[in-house]
Amino acid sequence: MIIHEHERFEAELRRLRPAKPPEDLMARLAAAKPFVHSPGSNTTAKSCRTKRRELFLRWFLPAAATAAAAVLLALWRLDAPLPNTPQKRPNAASIPALIADDIEIGRRLIATFDTVASLPSGEPVRLRCREWLDEVVLRDKTSGVVIEQRTPRFDIVPVSFETY
Amino acid sequence: MKSDRTHESPTSSDWQRWLAEHAPKFLLFARQQARSEADAQDLVQEAVLESWQRQSDAAPPPLGLVFATIRRRAIDLARSENRRARRESAASDPPEVCWFDSGIEDRERSQLIQAAVQNLPDIYRDVISLKVWGELTFAEIAEALDIPANTAASRYRYALAELRKRTKEVLA
Repeated sequence: MIIHEHERFEAELRRLRPAKPPEDLMARLAAAKPFVHSPGSNTTAKSCRTKRRELFLRWFLPAAATAAAAVLLALWRLDAPLPNTPQKRPNAASIPALIADDIEIGRRLIATFDTVASLPSGEPVRLRCREWLDEVVLRDKTSGVVIEQRTPRFDIVPVSFETY
Repeated sequence: MKSDRTHESPTSSDWQRWLAEHAPKFLLFARQQARSEADAQDLVQEAVLESWQRQSDAAPPPLGLVFATIRRRAIDLARSENRRARRESAASDPPEVCWFDSGIEDRERSQLIQAAVQNLPDIYRDVISLKVWGELTFAEIAEALDIPANTAASRYRYALAELRKRTKEVLA
């Protein structure tokens, strides 16, 4: 019963129609149409430009970035040797064998210094440090080929450190 | 030749039709929110334009969005620094602005309902106005007023009962 009366009252309220706005307000609203259709007008052109820019930002930039990444990847793969591809080896028979008929092996002392450290037991120990450069020179006098190899090496020798 | 009109360019006739259909609802709601008739009309104009321009596809905005914008702008207006000046200008406005279209025989009834609605607390007045004259669903009202839909429905029931009580003599 109450529900029925509410519905009837609601219908009564709905019978009242909101008053029409004054003419001047309707004129203002009509004049202020937000998107005026005028092909080639500034509004339309601006809208098109905006849409094109949005399209550019949305699709072209990610696509360009992906393409650039793909090109870089392809270049990198071209430079790197393929894991399963057998390396082209020069034919051993076609290369004349080197004959090392002059070999020099030497070493040069680059630096020497001592330092003091402590053992875990607390006892002091002196470390004598030497920096060497080992050199190996192979020469093939016939072909004039010289192969040099230099390897740095450190010697660290603990010596007693007597305290008085 | 077919027009190259795009979707974002409503024709004048589209615009006029949309306004003719909905502007009365917007103005009624704005009149309930604003302190003066001038403010109400400004609210409608600003809210309609803002809502339409916020649409990404430029289709007519949802009615709930326009009502919500009217309400938000009315709150902003009330908080603005020149509130006193607006109140003074409201006092100089003609006091009787009829909210409804009514003939002579219905004038008394519509004035009574208008007075009753005016005297409802804001939270009830907003809901009943949006439901009855704004023709929104409770879901749309909830979105427009930023309240749960159940709250909108319960406020509506209360407002309806209260209005019925206040207008019983005339509408009985």
